[in-house]
Amino acid sequence: MDTIMDILNYYSNNGAYVWEQFYRHFLMSAYGVLFAAIVAIPLGILIARYRKLSGWVISLANIIQTIPALAMLAVLMLVMGLGTNTVVFSLFLYSLLPIIKNTYTGILNVEQALLESGKAMGMTKFQVLTMVELPLAMSVIMAGLRTALVITIGVATIGTFIGAGGLGDIILRGTNATDGTAIILAGAIPTALMAVIADIAMGWIEKKLSPNKTSKQAIQQQTTAA
Amino acid sequence: MIKMKSFLMAFIVLLSAILSGCSLPGLAGAGKNSIAVGTMGTSESQIMGNVVRLMIEHYTDAKVEMVNNLGSSIVQHQAMMNGDVDITATRYTGTDLAGALGMEPVKDPKEALEIVQREFEKQFDQTWFDSYGFANSYAFTVKKEMAEKENLETVSDLEPLVDDLKLGVDNAWLKRKGDGYEGFVKEYGFEFGKTFPMQIGLVYQAAADGKMDVVLAYTTDGRIKAFDLKVLEDDKHFFPPYDTSLVARNDLLEKHPELRGILQKLSGKISTEKMQELNYEADGKMKEPAIVAEEFLKENNYFEEE
Repeated sequence: MDTIMDILNYYSNNGAYVWEQFYRHFLMSAYGVLFAAIVAIPLGILIARYRKLSGWVISLANIIQTIPALAMLAVLMLVMGLGTNTVVFSLFLYSLLPIIKNTYTGILNVEQALLESGKAMGMTKFQVLTMVELPLAMSVIMAGLRTALVITIGVATIGTFIGAGGLGDIILRGTNATDGTAIILAGAIPTALMAVIADIAMGWIEKKLSPNKTSKQAIQQQTTAA
Repeated sequence: MIKMKSFLMAFIVLLSAILSGCSLPGLAGAGKNSIAVGTMGTSESQIMGNVVRLMIEHYTDAKVEMVNNLGSSIVQHQAMMNGDVDITATRYTGTDLAGALGMEPVKDPKEALEIVQREFEKQFDQTWFDSYGFANSYAFTVKKEMAEKENLETVSDLEPLVDDLKLGVDNAWLKRKGDGYEGFVKEYGFEFGKTFPMQIGLVYQAAADGKMDVVLAYTTDGRIKAFDLKVLEDDKHFFPPYDTSLVARNDLLEKHPELRGILQKLSGKISTEKMQELNYEADGKMKEPAIVAEEFLKENNYFEEE
């Protein structure tokens, strides 16, 4: 009970500060995923086209994923120096694998018959991609982004070691303070909460983009129109 | 395919923006246009870092970025040399004399400060400011009641009682060369009845509970004040001085000439007792260093009257 009171006490003293770090933490994670999406989605489409490349690309992304976060940050710090950019870049690297894999799988799972009917309607390759493949694969791609975001929120906590701030700062300070239990929890709870909320929100978007649902709605609309 | 190319272009632009040190919107990185203040993981260091940040933000339009939790004084020094940070908020004369400069310890606080100021200017092109007014060194500490009863002011006053006293100290200090226990015995000429090595964080409670008669504490720790302990004066100047200053890169001071005057306002403004108080706000009352620093500066009106 005491600890809970301490945590509440901490929040009432430092509310603005915690919010600032929360926002910073989220931005670092979001930028990491965003940049990764910009690279990984086209790359995923590319390796779905040229499937010989897929083995290479995916195993490379796999290798990146296995590097421990602290080691990754330390190595990147040697090259890029201290601060948020280094953290964003390492989050970018960690986000690559789930997004590439999901994009690749999503595109491959589009039914051959649909692609051919697109072609038969006289669509160009680009039109098939944007009007058939991507919309059908979108929910799978979103699932990749969702995984990536949850991973990066966790990893961003370690950014405090290279001076990037974020909620990790609060946790680390708790470990230094005399009786830091409450401070550690005060940093850890929002981090976990952020990951859970991000997961739920992305899950919701994923469902919205799912082709099954849209086609059902389309059918409903048609029937009501008729 | 056109879309992919434009994606790739956008990515290359963004990536080069990151790598060239620009900051992303909403995330002021330690970029070229902002001033980066480095601190260590201790509350003291982070409070002073935030004081420096708030002073700069109060008087200028410059953007200031905190780089917290640098591991040690040496890491701070390297970050300064690399240009990752422009200012380090807490540097201790004794630590950097031995660390960054690799020189022999100097016992006289004034002389030590003069040496680091001169050498940092000459060797590293950095300005070592005058001390804030507090020093974070080792000090023999007793319960206030005992100090009053036995009339203790200095470490030498302990000598007549010493055979019956229990001393609680940091693990490392007993075996340390130079300013360790062996050196202490040589300098002061007496030994304590019993010595107990313990973790530094525990000595304050041990003294307050009366489990130890004398403990070796850090002078700026907030618990000295909170537990009503008394620091004894190191009358033979056995411990090297650890006066605390901020250090700034000279290229920053050339780019923002007004900073020198602003930061000098802090010199001599924070006594060791005041620092104990501020540390206790952070450690004992669980306020964030940023909040403690802000309250402190508001209380003092950002030292504007000068």
